[in-house]
Amino acid sequence: MNTAIRFEHVSKRFVLHHHRARSFQELVIRLLHGQGNGRREVFWALSDVSFEVKRGETVALVGPNGAGKSTVLKLVSRIIDPTSGRIVVNGRVGALLELGTGFHPDLTGRENIYLNGAILGLQRAEIHRRIDDIIAFAEMERFIDVPVKHYSSGMYVRLGFSVAVHVEPEILLVDEVLAVGDAAFQRRCLERIDQLRADGTTIMFVSHDLNAVRRLCQRALWLEKGCVVADSSPEAVVCEYATHSYAANAALAARREAFRHGTGEVTIEEVRFLDSEGRLRDFFSTGESFTVEMRYKAHKTIERPVFGIAIHRSDGVHVTGPNTQFAQYEIPVIRGEGVVRYTVPFLPLLEGTYYVSTAVVDWNDTQMFDYHDRLYSFRILPGCAERYGLVTLKGTWSWTDQKIG
Amino acid sequence: MTLIERKGSQTIIVADAELSVTQKPFHIVRATLSYLAELWCYRELLFTLVVRDLKVRYRNSVLGVLWSLGNPLLMMAVFTLVFTVMTPSNIEKFPIFVLCGLLPWNFFSASVIGSIRSIVDNAPLIRKVYFPREVLPLSVVLSNMVNFLIALSVLFAFILAFQMPITPWALLLPVVILVQVLFTCGIALILATVNVFYRDTQVIMEVAMLAWFFLTPIFYPIDILPRNYHLGEITIDVWRWMYMLNPMASLIATYRVILYGNGFGGAPPALDFFSRTTLTALGVLVLGILVFFRYKRLFGEEV
Repeated sequence: MNTAIRFEHVSKRFVLHHHRARSFQELVIRLLHGQGNGRREVFWALSDVSFEVKRGETVALVGPNGAGKSTVLKLVSRIIDPTSGRIVVNGRVGALLELGTGFHPDLTGRENIYLNGAILGLQRAEIHRRIDDIIAFAEMERFIDVPVKHYSSGMYVRLGFSVAVHVEPEILLVDEVLAVGDAAFQRRCLERIDQLRADGTTIMFVSHDLNAVRRLCQRALWLEKGCVVADSSPEAVVCEYATHSYAANAALAARREAFRHGTGEVTIEEVRFLDSEGRLRDFFSTGESFTVEMRYKAHKTIERPVFGIAIHRSDGVHVTGPNTQFAQYEIPVIRGEGVVRYTVPFLPLLEGTYYVSTAVVDWNDTQMFDYHDRLYSFRILPGCAERYGLVTLKGTWSWTDQKIG
Repeated sequence: MTLIERKGSQTIIVADAELSVTQKPFHIVRATLSYLAELWCYRELLFTLVVRDLKVRYRNSVLGVLWSLGNPLLMMAVFTLVFTVMTPSNIEKFPIFVLCGLLPWNFFSASVIGSIRSIVDNAPLIRKVYFPREVLPLSVVLSNMVNFLIALSVLFAFILAFQMPITPWALLLPVVILVQVLFTCGIALILATVNVFYRDTQVIMEVAMLAWFFLTPIFYPIDILPRNYHLGEITIDVWRWMYMLNPMASLIATYRVILYGNGFGGAPPALDFFSRTTLTALGVLVLGILVFFRYKRLFGEEV
């Protein structure tokens, strides 16, 4: 029996009741007013999904919100039942869905470990055997006999994670919870997950963090509107998914008018990121060629406009802010439509998410024609040998064992 | 209903739509067996939840166990004051009389009110983790039962203090408690389910429980109910109807007979009524199980 999870033509239908009475009071009022019990709408969260996960595999589920990723996890963990199809699950399922769920504030940490273990289906003796490991992993020795209502949120999450990974599930479901605790604890969480993986635990992993998907998984399933659209190596799926989500991102950005301001005499109509071959991308690797392309429309004749961009890292660090004036690249006059490109032949940025702002101003920097504040984003994927900080300076090292001078 | 089958560590979930009519009965039997096996696996959870309830209850009050006894004793004192001093009712050893009704009632009432909320209050858990959902209402009933047993020991102390004999009929007590537990579990399962879909069930039931309290012979003997009440042309035997329609009346009357008698020690209970109540309790329990199982698969989506 080499299969851990098998979905055979599984569909899940949710019935959404619009304005359904949630209380008897409402129900009576509705009946008196002669209204029925609201409108029903049928929503297929999954339609005819089939896949198989082998024992010991680590599989990621990627896809936009509402694609059915969490529905898959909930079906595997039996929180909801399928509408049609068959699901086979081999082994005990453990879930890292929401850490610390089920802790009772008035009970101590130790008592909550037993409670949480019991909720996850363990016998008292099994928990007893592991309790020291659980406490040690969470680094809670000092506070374990204090009611958890006195815990900080970090302690809460640490204890929750510790219980969840120590119940030795054969199948572990992880839903976007790795971003917990401080950096050191996060690293230990990942180490622990690696260890579980090495021990042969099957892991199913939902994440919007494509870097984590590439790092942790051997396979990725891409769900879109309840269907599996791709099922292959994480590299291939992430690449395809990132390209696809680019278009969706751009459309989303255009709607965020609140982040735009300016007189509107020149408007930036579209901003795109291109690789060395002119293909649209919103993820790059360190060292690749990177081009920001701005399509503009000048509604009247403008002399000597200045186009600029700014790049911020996701934590707000302002990385750079080049413009055509700094580069002494003078555009004499514009009228109607046109394109301005800013190209970096070797992108020195390291792994992370970056936001791009674009602007058109007049030569004296007194009039802002159009300004898009951090409306666009791209990602630098990991893979560069350098790991710390913001950029690689591409410096060179040299060594000599002779005394200088 | 979705078929869930477990073979060792393998779980097979088959949607209802996949089963043909001829397969169904066969599958239902297998599913029930594997369900019972699963419930056995989660017995630890039931036990842990009961212990949790009791710990939380007693830890948060300075007086601990005494507090859960304080409430019925205070009520007893008030009723005794009202019915022996303010409007004398000539009931022998009134404190014992009223405690025999009050303690089982408190057990029932606290179980019902607590279990109604049990599913909804644990919504975060239900949305995130699978476990047999029925352990939530059942643990409320069981922890209140433990509480009731502690309170009963006080009742026995009172009986001795009033120099009343404890007769062998008191040995029937476990049977009566068992019937009450079955009945309460049935009610708890039904109301906990209803509350998931209609959230004001708990509010309505708080009022209903108060009405039910007065309609149950707790601080008055069931024998004061008229046997021939004339409502226009119709003659109603209120006493009989009370026994028939209100299982709590019959249960409390039975507790009272075997522990209190008429103030001179326990006497044999009216077995015909009690066996009918047992059947009613089993019926309510079966109904509760059916309702709960019909709807519990929606809890993950609705809470």
